[in-house]
Amino acid sequence: MDHIFSGQLLFSALVLGSLYMVAALGLNLVYGTLRLLNVAHGDLAMLGAFTAFWCFTLLGLSPLLSLPLAAGLCALAAWLVHAGLLTRGPLAARAFDGEVLQRLEANSLLIFIGLSVILQNVAALAFTGSPRAYRYLDGVIEFAGVSMTGHRLAALTIAAVIGLAALAILHFSRYGLAIKAMIESPMAAEVVGIDVRRFRLGALMTGFALAGVAGGLISMSEQISPFMGFPVTIASFIVIILGGLGNLRGGMAAAFMLAFVQVYGVALTSPSYASVLLYGVFVGALLLRPEGLLARRVASR
Amino acid sequence: MRRFFAATAAAVIIAMGLGSALASDPVRIGFSIAQTGLFSQAAPSQMTAYELWRDDVNAAGGLNVAGEQRMVEFVFYDDESDPSKTAQIYEKLITDDQVDLLIAPWGTPSHLALAGVLEAHQFPMVGNTAASVAIREVAPGNIWFPTSAIPDHIGPNLAALAKQSGVTKVAVIANLLPFAQENLQFLVPALDAEGIEIVVNESYPPDIADMTTLLVEIKESGADGVIALSYPADSFLYQGQATELGVDAPFQFLLVGPTISAFADAFGEGSSGLVTLGHWSPHQDAWPRARPFYDAYVERFGMRPDYLDTALAYMSLEILEQAVAEVGLDHDKLREVISSGTFETINGPVHFTGVENDTTPTAFLQLQDGEMHLVWPASIATADYMPR
Amino acid sequence: MNRTATILPLLLVLGFGIAFPSWAGSYTLIVGLLLCQWIALTASWTLCGGLAGYISLGHVVFFGIGGYTSMLLWQVVPLWIAVPAGGLAAGLFALLIGAPVLRVRGPYFVILTLGIAELVKYLVLLSEKELGKSSRLIFGVPSNETLYWALLALATLAIVILLIVRETRLGHGLIALRDDETAAATVGVPVARYKLAAFTLSAIIPGMVGALMVLRSAYFDVTQLFNAEISFAIVTMAIIGGRDDPRGAVLGAGLLLLISEFLWARAPQIYLILLGVLLIGFVLFLPRGLAGLLSRRGKAS
Repeated sequence: MDHIFSGQLLFSALVLGSLYMVAALGLNLVYGTLRLLNVAHGDLAMLGAFTAFWCFTLLGLSPLLSLPLAAGLCALAAWLVHAGLLTRGPLAARAFDGEVLQRLEANSLLIFIGLSVILQNVAALAFTGSPRAYRYLDGVIEFAGVSMTGHRLAALTIAAVIGLAALAILHFSRYGLAIKAMIESPMAAEVVGIDVRRFRLGALMTGFALAGVAGGLISMSEQISPFMGFPVTIASFIVIILGGLGNLRGGMAAAFMLAFVQVYGVALTSPSYASVLLYGVFVGALLLRPEGLLARRVASR
Repeated sequence: MRRFFAATAAAVIIAMGLGSALASDPVRIGFSIAQTGLFSQAAPSQMTAYELWRDDVNAAGGLNVAGEQRMVEFVFYDDESDPSKTAQIYEKLITDDQVDLLIAPWGTPSHLALAGVLEAHQFPMVGNTAASVAIREVAPGNIWFPTSAIPDHIGPNLAALAKQSGVTKVAVIANLLPFAQENLQFLVPALDAEGIEIVVNESYPPDIADMTTLLVEIKESGADGVIALSYPADSFLYQGQATELGVDAPFQFLLVGPTISAFADAFGEGSSGLVTLGHWSPHQDAWPRARPFYDAYVERFGMRPDYLDTALAYMSLEILEQAVAEVGLDHDKLREVISSGTFETINGPVHFTGVENDTTPTAFLQLQDGEMHLVWPASIATADYMPR
Repeated sequence: MNRTATILPLLLVLGFGIAFPSWAGSYTLIVGLLLCQWIALTASWTLCGGLAGYISLGHVVFFGIGGYTSMLLWQVVPLWIAVPAGGLAAGLFALLIGAPVLRVRGPYFVILTLGIAELVKYLVLLSEKELGKSSRLIFGVPSNETLYWALLALATLAIVILLIVRETRLGHGLIALRDDETAAATVGVPVARYKLAAFTLSAIIPGMVGALMVLRSAYFDVTQLFNAEISFAIVTMAIIGGRDDPRGAVLGAGLLLLISEFLWARAPQIYLILLGVLLIGFVLFLPRGLAGLLSRRGKAS
């Protein structure tokens, strides 16, 4: 029990949290700017994971170097989805009145369910269901009494860089300001002169790309298979809901909160309760604060 | 000139027609396989065995059906890892597609789900990848289970192996899913009976993301043996994090995982010494069919067969093949032959009592220098157990 | 709302359903009972997701609770008690958690329901461990024909309830609060009570369906019983069929099942991919669902 203050536990929680953070950031971008629940998020991560795997196995390319490729492929998928589905038909209208918006949200769920099914089964067809894995940076480093596997440290580092970059962009740059404005109120953003349409595409592409990157990072320590996406999807949703939908910084904090609950909660109770803790805390928190634990006011209608 | 060509063409066409009328119809073998869904990770290890067998049989001129050579044709569908869909598919295979023979889907739930369908239609099928004490409750006569990895045998055998390997204090961790828990139920009393002290006994949910607390607990307990009743995903997690934290107990057992080639790809020599479930190895010289099968599989697929699932799948086909060679396709005759005969397989001789294989012992494999060897029981061991 | 246009086709379908077993082969009968299952589930879901507009992505939780209840009571009480007990358990659960859960709105509610379903799934896994049950086998289940009649009855009941509720004050109130909850409350609609009623009602029949369907798999598997894919399928069928219409459940379930049946035998490798493409096509070209397509012919709604 005294190990609860150990650096080891902290390291595990940080690694887990950082992976949650990258994945959730992408999902939050997509929801915040488009108000669409992308239930195919985890399947995009799966694409990223396979990209890393094939680059490593066929080209000997380090997964850290193939991350941009994973990001690029997923961004391309986003562009295709946008061009093919989101700019025509009923979704192009994007009127902002209640009933239409509601029906659009429900229908958009269907689009992403369809996308998820397509991604999973194309991968299953192309790669078969056999799980894949590879060895990379699996030496263990000892530092300050904490043992760290190379690739876990690498994942943490890259995720930290992404997180800091995101924070910097959001806080300091014009783009960040524009994104925040768009998320807060698309109508107001348009009035102020922000090219909402272009930013939306950019946010969608970035969101998908981040999912791909998360997948690439995950691939270093987990089995890769066509149906590995659902746990990533559901974890990402839980994180962004807890942080408040559209609250990018809240989501980043919530990612670590969730990881800490999982890792330290288990330390305080018992490993049997790992999942019950995760979902229990989520449900409990949402029931107590229906707008998310860290939410500020974000216009949802 | 034109008349000559026309006549030749006509002759060729008639000859082809005659030829195909003389050639026998193929034997149609039906099954469902989990190409999508929860089981789709494990099913390919079975599907590859099926494909290898079919292609080898066809290359040799076809399946011997009581003296007649006929080509083999598969009729299969995706059961989406849904056992009730499996039952639906087999119903269709029997009544609609009217296949000649049936072979098994992947996994215990799927096997049990279709037992009723086989019973209703009195259609015999040799099972393979099913392991649970529940199989004994199935009415015998239309389904058989060649595996020896049944939890109530695994428990006492594993405890005995641990004892023999010098384990005095053991840490047991188990996935909350049924097969793992079933094993846990039989393992704990068996360990007690062998006088091994259980210093850690924890279960965890199947989607566990971090095992740090669990592994620290194991390290601090001073256990000299770790038994992880784990499924592939958590076996992966265990191996990665146990290496990170330096869990160095000399005896480490993972229930399901090390036989999967992705496991070896990820952990290489770090996984040397791990013990796992399995009753087949290509190194057993007493089984002449084992090595050729292994070599053919590696040549065709470029990876090792799964020592449990792939071997079982192939065994079930060998049994079917020998039964059909003897009595043809009649269901009643097949039932009789399979229930009473002894068959030569890549895993040695197999004979059934009721639904269960009474010849193959419950066994364990150990990874030694990149090779998987049988280390228990002594009767079929191909190498001695080596502590890590 | 043209009553004849709604009720007449439903009666025809019912008539067909009653005549069905007399000519259907053993395999076709299975397809029939599956269709009844999905109609029952989707129509019940529509009470909450269609009328009230609270889209639940975790409806499998009621199916699962009913199934687990049935499992616990297996061979303890006869089936005709166990099945309603399953429905009762599911309804009670909905009643218990409904009040706090329904305070959560929009996309938060959608993901909350997903989280609740997962939470209950892992709680049941723990429960099975506590009970020391690791391999439950179910033999001696009722024949497919018996199951068919039972499911047909449940499907009919679900549609009848939907039709009746639509005509009552409850139904009108739900539709009002779906469009604008605050406005509805202002004009005196007892919003909280009505939402809870819809939520609870939507749980009972799925509970009974689960109690029956759990028997078909011979080997009890918690993960299968609480499979999130069931929730997704329900939502898909409801949206395709048309959420606003009692015919929607029949149309959506019917079309999806028929297409599946047609495809999986003929194009086994790609049928799921085709299904995904179809879903997306639906959203683009038939945003009001199939029922919307039919309604356009009649009076304007």
